[in-house]
Amino acid sequence: MSVLTASLVLLALLLVLLVGGVWIAISLAAVAWAGLQFLTSSPPDVNLFQSFWGSSASWTLAALPLFVWMGEILYRTKLSEEMFEGLAPWLGWLPGRLMHVNVLGCAIFGTVSGSSAATCATIAKVALPELKKRGYDEKTCLGSLAAAGTLGILLPPSIIMVVYAVAAEVSIIKVFLAGFIPGFVLTLLFSGYIVAWALANPGKTPSDEIASSWRERLQKAKHLIPCLLLIVFVVWVMVTGWATATEAAAYGVLGALAIAWWSGGLDRASFMASLMGATRLSCMIMFILAGASFLSSCMAFTGIPRALAEWVASLEPNKYMLIAILAGIYILLGTALDGVSMIVLTTSIVLPMVEKAGFDLVWFGIFIVLLVEIAELTPPLGFNIFVLQTMTGRDSNYVALASAPFFFMMVLCIALITLFPELATWLPDMLIGVAKK
Amino acid sequence: MRRFLDRLYAASGGLAAICLAAICALMLAQALGREAGILLRGADDIVAWLTAACAFLALGYTFRHGELVRVGLWLEKLAPRSRRVAELAALGVTALFGAYMLWAIARFVYESWKFKEVAQGMIVIPIWIPQMSLVVGCAIFLVAVLDELCLVLRKQKPTYQVAEEARRAAGDYSETV
Repeated sequence: MSVLTASLVLLALLLVLLVGGVWIAISLAAVAWAGLQFLTSSPPDVNLFQSFWGSSASWTLAALPLFVWMGEILYRTKLSEEMFEGLAPWLGWLPGRLMHVNVLGCAIFGTVSGSSAATCATIAKVALPELKKRGYDEKTCLGSLAAAGTLGILLPPSIIMVVYAVAAEVSIIKVFLAGFIPGFVLTLLFSGYIVAWALANPGKTPSDEIASSWRERLQKAKHLIPCLLLIVFVVWVMVTGWATATEAAAYGVLGALAIAWWSGGLDRASFMASLMGATRLSCMIMFILAGASFLSSCMAFTGIPRALAEWVASLEPNKYMLIAILAGIYILLGTALDGVSMIVLTTSIVLPMVEKAGFDLVWFGIFIVLLVEIAELTPPLGFNIFVLQTMTGRDSNYVALASAPFFFMMVLCIALITLFPELATWLPDMLIGVAKK
Repeated sequence: MRRFLDRLYAASGGLAAICLAAICALMLAQALGREAGILLRGADDIVAWLTAACAFLALGYTFRHGELVRVGLWLEKLAPRSRRVAELAALGVTALFGAYMLWAIARFVYESWKFKEVAQGMIVIPIWIPQMSLVVGCAIFLVAVLDELCLVLRKQKPTYQVAEEARRAAGDYSETV
């Protein structure tokens, strides 16, 4: 069987299993088994054990459950309730006023929570009623919430980034650092759109002024500041080389527990809920990683990724053309798959191709994370759309349409980092060094 | 039987959670120990083993909670009767592969026990001891899948579906990334 027929058969099998509702990790592993059994002479059972054990008994991977736990702890504190009151006095002067709370609130909460749907739901729960009461435009509110909810996975520490770094075998710290500037750029683009929209529609922003002194501002933000400090601290210990990513994650858990205790949100029940929630989420992600690692080893034996990479290279594609096609494929995948699956499913096939075309793998991580963000916004499986749809009772087309301008801001951000890859690579290369993977 | 199984899932999930907490404690101990000039030898190995244990021991428990992801796009649109058939097919495939997985893993671990293979690292213990977490985890996962299969065969709603619908109704999205 030629490599082409083999890959098509395996792809068809994978599609049947996925659409049939077989759990994703099992689908990946079953396809890997079929590939090894029928296309190679390598024993699948030995490969299965070695990939499962090799991918999960990993010291690097230990950062993942810890970051998940840190997010789960902070998610259960009163942080979200104070997000609106804490941020509102700082942002009232901008055109578009409190609409910016959506963007900034999601950005801050998303960095700690790591889940974009949870971020979107949490901020929407506090911000939507407040904004509605004051008479803000519902459409722009919903759009900004749906889009900004995804910011968290671009701003470190981010669980999706850990998944990519583990799957692509690049440094977690470098991918984290690479996310900073694109994250700021995207936040600015979102806020910039709101400013432009507010200036173009002057009648639609209510003009209530929240006058407050610096003292009051700080008083209201007193629970936000430690949280921001924790994020800065976690990233800082990694950058200075004082702690590894896994140790930094452990500090993050400790800091999150301290913040939760200090703000009075930590009791036995919420501690247990955060621990058990983190266990389930980590188990889900690590099981997919194990299945994907088995599929990668199968792919290596069949030679499909190498053949595909050579084929793409033989076409001598324009670099930008390749990126545009990949972006299209990921947007399509994103309509049906969740972010983790999207990343681990494609790394073994796409990375050889991307590397051969001369792209930096850390940069590609940011590219893929941005596309995962977009996937959250595209129906029918855009999760943030689903969240806001259930919260407001509007139908999904309304929410999707409301977030369309922000969708274009994300595409613009992808175009920007493709044209100026330094936006992503400059910070990690400067702080960690180019050569260090 | 029902009580025994529920306790089995809860216990394995609890054990996985203890592994997670232990990873955190060990990493903190190592980092603080280094500041104080005490070197914790082998902590890295234990952390790696605990990570594997955390991932696999929680499988059955996570599965029952409906938090192992899958593509629900098509399934959720089906009428109850066709949905039941589709669930049976998905559970059937998962049970078959789960059994294969358990066999492949158990065989490998059995061999490393038989040939007395030793962990390569700071801690010299037989490698089958940490690897047992995969065997136990996959076994409990298989039991959980068969358990759900029986449930659907008896025309009941699978537990993972009930759990997922309850979470959606409560507006809890913390299980997605």
